[in-house]
Amino acid sequence: MGLGDIVKQQQKALTEPQEKQTEEIVQLVGFVVGEEEFAVPILSIQEIIKPIEWTRVPFVPDYVLGVFNLRGNVLPLIDLRKKFKVPAADIDENTRFIVMKIKGEDVAFVIDRLTSAIRIPKKNILPPPDTYSNEDDIIEGVGRLDDGRIITILKVDNLIKREEIVPEK
Amino acid sequence: MDDMMELLEDFLVEAFEMIEEMDQDLIELENNPDDLDLVNKIFRVAHTIKGSGSFLNFDKLTRLTHHMEAVLDKARKGELRITPEIMDVILESVDAMKAILEYIRDNGNDEAPDVDIEPIVKKLDAIVNSEGVGSSSEEKEEKKESKKIGNLNLDEITVDNIDDIDVSQLSPEELDAVLERLVEDINTPPEEEEKEEKKEEEEKKEEKEEKKEVTPADKKEVAKAAETKPVSKEEAKQKVKKQLINAKEQTIRVDVKRLDQLMNLIGELVLAKNRLIKIYNDVEERYEGEKFLEELNQVVSSISIVTTDLQIAVMKIRMLPIGKVFNKFPRLVRDLARELGKKVRLIIEGEDTELDKSIIEEIGDPLVHMIRNAIDHGIEPPEERKAKGKPEEGTIWLRAYNEGNMIVIEIKDDGRGIDPEAIKKKAIEKGIITPQEAENMSDKEAFMLIFKPGFSTAEKVTSVSGRGVGMDVVKTNIEKLNGIIEVDSVPGKGTTFKLKIPLTLAIIQALLVASQEDLFAVPLSNVIETVRIVEEDIYTIEGKSVLKLRDEVLPLVNMADVFEIEKILEPEKYLYVVILGLGATKIGLIVDRFIGQEEIVIKSLGEFLKGLPGIAGATIRGDGRVTLIVDVASLMKLAKETHNKKLVTDSLKEAKKKKEKPEDYVVMIVDDSAMDRKIMRQALEPLGVQIVEAKDGIEALNLLKQNDVDAMLIDIEMPRMDGYTLAQEIRKYNKFRKLPLIAVTSRATKADRVRGVEVGMNEYITKPYTKEYLQNVVRRNLGL
Repeated sequence: MGLGDIVKQQQKALTEPQEKQTEEIVQLVGFVVGEEEFAVPILSIQEIIKPIEWTRVPFVPDYVLGVFNLRGNVLPLIDLRKKFKVPAADIDENTRFIVMKIKGEDVAFVIDRLTSAIRIPKKNILPPPDTYSNEDDIIEGVGRLDDGRIITILKVDNLIKREEIVPEK
Repeated sequence: MDDMMELLEDFLVEAFEMIEEMDQDLIELENNPDDLDLVNKIFRVAHTIKGSGSFLNFDKLTRLTHHMEAVLDKARKGELRITPEIMDVILESVDAMKAILEYIRDNGNDEAPDVDIEPIVKKLDAIVNSEGVGSSSEEKEEKKESKKIGNLNLDEITVDNIDDIDVSQLSPEELDAVLERLVEDINTPPEEEEKEEKKEEEEKKEEKEEKKEVTPADKKEVAKAAETKPVSKEEAKQKVKKQLINAKEQTIRVDVKRLDQLMNLIGELVLAKNRLIKIYNDVEERYEGEKFLEELNQVVSSISIVTTDLQIAVMKIRMLPIGKVFNKFPRLVRDLARELGKKVRLIIEGEDTELDKSIIEEIGDPLVHMIRNAIDHGIEPPEERKAKGKPEEGTIWLRAYNEGNMIVIEIKDDGRGIDPEAIKKKAIEKGIITPQEAENMSDKEAFMLIFKPGFSTAEKVTSVSGRGVGMDVVKTNIEKLNGIIEVDSVPGKGTTFKLKIPLTLAIIQALLVASQEDLFAVPLSNVIETVRIVEEDIYTIEGKSVLKLRDEVLPLVNMADVFEIEKILEPEKYLYVVILGLGATKIGLIVDRFIGQEEIVIKSLGEFLKGLPGIAGATIRGDGRVTLIVDVASLMKLAKETHNKKLVTDSLKEAKKKKEKPEDYVVMIVDDSAMDRKIMRQALEPLGVQIVEAKDGIEALNLLKQNDVDAMLIDIEMPRMDGYTLAQEIRKYNKFRKLPLIAVTSRATKADRVRGVEVGMNEYITKPYTKEYLQNVVRRNLGL
């Protein structure tokens, strides 16, 4: 073994663990809306709360349920069932409001139930297949979990858009 | 270094304040060129800035102020009369001074490469030399004589020979004069020396005080260093100190952030107070007559009073006189008028009127815009005015005064006025309105067209106005403040703009109303009155609903129609109407219930929902729920549309559903025992009504929301949610306020019955009961 080889080997040894580190793990939180399981990055979630009373707001699309008071702040409440055009369902003991930060603003989303926290290597996330209807560009990709579950990962920033909610004059 | 920074900051704050004042004084001086007090005052400002500037080594600033000072000095000695031309140059140098100061603020030095003071300095010199012919050389000689202090001839002292003088032997006064002389020597190019000599006596007097602080030895060193100029800064500080002592330190500067924080905290406190009042009311109902209530009442009301006082106190801290904004206008008007070759007089009234700081900050730009417009479009050129038989000099009034919860700012000119027909024509050309719309438009509505985006009346684009940013920006700015604009104009006579702005933005008084089940807060400042009417009071004129109220006829709309709220409540005998006023417009708004008057804290709906038609924001009520706040200006617009489309009488019919036969009625049975449910069902079937069943309170609530239920039979003891809780929950909904609730239970004590009434049960049946009895009760409650 020449000196050059040794140096190469050492370099390889040095860089390899870094490569492993750069193999990014994405941390997600999974939840169910309708029949499908979705996930959003764990860092975009501010908090998850049990349903509380909200106030209706006029002139908004049906998926905007209204606003509610979260410790003195007024937050919009979005029904993901209506947003994803899944038939409506009653609020039950599994229903949760997920509060996420979108463009610097807290917004809450109604989901049917939480599933689990998910760690998934980035390479296991594929871009959404063409068969998905992804007009609003709200799907980041599709992830396959070790147990075979398929989850749809959402682009949090695109979940609601002001121009769709408030009619411009 | 920190000391230096602090000094610099002090200097800047002081300098900006003084310049602002100076600006106004100069304008006043132009009108009263002989007012010596004024000239002296202005001179002192220039002098102080020069002094402080030179101490901080701002050579450019010093040089500029030095030359200004020379001109002003001549003026105050009566050797120079301030003509408009001279004033132009002085103002120009004030602007340059401002620019340099701004540069210093941003960069810490006065290089200010963008500001070229040389042309200004030349002009200033020219004024001193040419106009000042009166000042003979003899006079100058005299002054040179007077420059002697003690046994020193100051003129002989220069930086080069300073070492020859034994500084430690000088009296403080002498030392001072020597130092000053040195500063002059360094700062002044030789040919300017003569002018510089006219140092006035008073300056020296002020400087005496400084001596005590500086030992001669220190001074010597400073003098030797020969670049530092310690004199004048000390003097300026001393002056400020004196002022402060005079005022006995009655004011302090506070960071606005701290005030905002305080205001937020008080906002929270108001919310908590509202909540406390609500809880007290609940408790009062339940424990009527108990002794502790009295005490609780006292605590609640004292907290309530203190909170309100506190809020007012903090609001007052945040208030600033509007003069702060008005002050810059004399200068603006003067410059513009000269630029446009017009003669304009500005009359300011009510500059002491106070407004919230945040509003003061926002109001400046719109006002500048409107005053520019008044001068550019409103006031005619002198010849034209003369031809019309008006005085050559146009007048603009800028006036501020309080009106209820609002402050009114009036901008009035005696110019050519607005021609409504010309406006309409222009609007049609620009495609803003159709010719038909124009025909139906009142003059007032036509005036409002100038606020539409893309509308500009200026025939030619000048540098002053007509650059595309039109009055629509003004309107947006004012609306941001929840304000209202009104325009009134008589062609040939002039135009009046009125801006009405709420005193404060954060906390307002509101009338809470319910339309169907939704609550809304209406700003009390826009509520003229509330009335109760019957359907017969509503008239239909030309296919639109109106309300005759005393001698007025008001357009009438149902709030539920305006906000497209689904109608679920049957209309009652009486209708409740809020009369809303905005400017000259009044409208009647039908609501379903008045809740009351409350102090509310305005919260934004956030980026995604703000700007919804008719909604200004939200507030959090005592019970923690969110209530929307109505945006009156926008609501009026919506209401107008609704008024054209929908008759109130039709709208009232929508909620009335006819029920005639027993099959139209639905009775819900809530009981956890299947056996009991069966007994009730069998008892009711002969009546012919429809029946739904629920096993417990929670199921019942869900069913109730989905079905149109006309009466409920409720068992008390049930799992998950018992009958009492169920009744309580049901009564929380406005639309179930009148739904008959009949308790059917084996709990028969008096306490149970009382509890039943408390939670809102209409009847109380104890098991066992006869079929007929149950039937009768149900029939009676359904009105069969």
